Amino acid sequence: MVMSLAFERQLILVSVALLAVATLVQFAGFILGRNMYRPTAGIYAGVVALLGIAITGRWVREGQGPFLTFYDILLSNIFSLALMFLLISAFVSAVRPGMLVTSPLLLLLGTWLTRVSGLAGPLPGAFDNSWLWVHVLSGKLFLGFCLAATATAIVMLASNASSGERLTRLAPDPERCERAIWALFFISFVCHSFMLVAGAVWAHSAWGHFWSWDPLETWTLVTWLMLGGVLHARATFRKMPQGLGHALVCITFVVAFLTFFGVPFVSIAPHKGLM
Amino acid sequence: MMSLLKKFASLRLTLLGMIMLAVLAVIGTRNAAIGVGVTVIPLVILVVNLLAALLTNRSFRTQAGLLVFHIGLLLVFACIGLTVLLRYEGRVEVVAGGGFNVGQVETVEQGWWHDNRLAEIEFYQGEVQVDYLPGLNRQNTHSTLEYRAASGDMRRITVGDTRTATIAGYQLAATFNKGYALLLQWTGADGETVLGAVHMPSFPEFDWNQVTTWSTPAGHQVELELDFAEPVSDDRASWTFGNTDIPYSVNVSGADGAQRSLRNGESIELAGGQVRNMGLAVWMGYRIEYLPFLPWMFVAAMLAIAGLSMHYARRYLPKSSTAGASAKEDAYGHVARV
Repeated sequence: MVMSLAFERQLILVSVALLAVATLVQFAGFILGRNMYRPTAGIYAGVVALLGIAITGRWVREGQGPFLTFYDILLSNIFSLALMFLLISAFVSAVRPGMLVTSPLLLLLGTWLTRVSGLAGPLPGAFDNSWLWVHVLSGKLFLGFCLAATATAIVMLASNASSGERLTRLAPDPERCERAIWALFFISFVCHSFMLVAGAVWAHSAWGHFWSWDPLETWTLVTWLMLGGVLHARATFRKMPQGLGHALVCITFVVAFLTFFGVPFVSIAPHKGLM
Repeated sequence: MMSLLKKFASLRLTLLGMIMLAVLAVIGTRNAAIGVGVTVIPLVILVVNLLAALLTNRSFRTQAGLLVFHIGLLLVFACIGLTVLLRYEGRVEVVAGGGFNVGQVETVEQGWWHDNRLAEIEFYQGEVQVDYLPGLNRQNTHSTLEYRAASGDMRRITVGDTRTATIAGYQLAATFNKGYALLLQWTGADGETVLGAVHMPSFPEFDWNQVTTWSTPAGHQVELELDFAEPVSDDRASWTFGNTDIPYSVNVSGADGAQRSLRNGESIELAGGQVRNMGLAVWMGYRIEYLPFLPWMFVAAMLAIAGLSMHYARRYLPKSSTAGASAKEDAYGHVARV
């Protein structure tokens, strides 16, 4: 039995509704001064399960993974970001307050997804090789780690910028948060480097050029330089204020986010000019 | 000398190089007048900076992961440089039943140090099959070649989207570019006969316009239009490109504007001679490239990533977190602080 596109979209609508609830729960927790990690994590688990079913159903129906269209990119990234944040927060408690940031962001992506056409196009035969998998998976790991670092950095920025009790309570252990931010940012740099290499190998096999300076490749290089640059900046300016470091992490994520989701405004599929 | 090297090894210079590279990459790709060649400037700065840092920065002696990462990065740069100097990229179309002709190769890029050995390539085109899904979505390509291997033997290989052939050191990859060719026999006024293939425009990309201009051996230009009796490509169903057993005719228009139809095996008189339609064939487009340092670039990049991973493991994984708190932390100590 094959899942219909209509049912897939219903699963997505329920997931988006759950993300709206997660956002409300987080804001309610912030206002009431209560830790809402457990209920929000439960909602995230529900979102991951529903989107996992939607992706699997789509995969079986279309006979290919979620690689090609902007709908595929949004769907698979909401799934991977929610799953990764859930897993990271389970092991690194310092990032848990970041759910106040990730929940509205995932809700935004989910709302965007509901407005995008879900029609699939077949993946050209030349693109279908194992390096595509490595490229896509390492990209999702990168964005997941970078989101966790950024969400924690935003919480730290808000916590440090205010003397209000609610905000300072957001990051109860600044030292652990600080360590988590840079550990996650560093591992995201490793994953991004691997994504670049795997992407070059895949591109050479798919359309004959390991590097073509298309908008996505150019902005991916800019993101990589920013990741490396921010780590170098911390080494160069050792007395750099903590807040500036966090702001640079956030700016890097914004560039990465626009690269992942903004380039489709230039072309409707990744590397469209070469497809 | 050492103080000069230390100045070149400055981390501030690294940052400047990275910012320049990011800015110039964006500007160069968006502005054709500037071009991406401008990124060579920050790349040279970064290579000099990295070399100087490897020679002078003591932190590399205490942090193996960082050393491996930066050596890997330097090797990537070296491979990029050698690739630019030695590379070759060209295109060629070969008709089924015919052989590779070096004179038909169109060079796209050739590095300054490239030793052109294209004349050593010898292969003959066999059967071509390209599968399409509805919506003209190209799937697998199967193009069979017979080529002369380095040992001198003739070998057969089927290349496609994920398989290439390496002949005389050059890599040949089948491209999306392929089409039909008309096999024509020309008999001049002196009775001399010439057999050749006229390549029609790429198919199915230009299935709506299978027209080309042909200069006859007598020096007159005629327009040839390939006219299929029934549609060959199908936008709504799966089909396979490569079949030449198709009812068709060729419309031949001379300079006088008169149009004549030419079926398989028929001949017509043209200015200066007679042309006979000998049949339909397919041609296949190939990309020829020579990138000897590409595999080494991959190895160097993986070495750099391995170095980064080593450094991460040393700094952040629980077992090494206390061991890393050395008083000798250097300029890269930021990683230990977090």
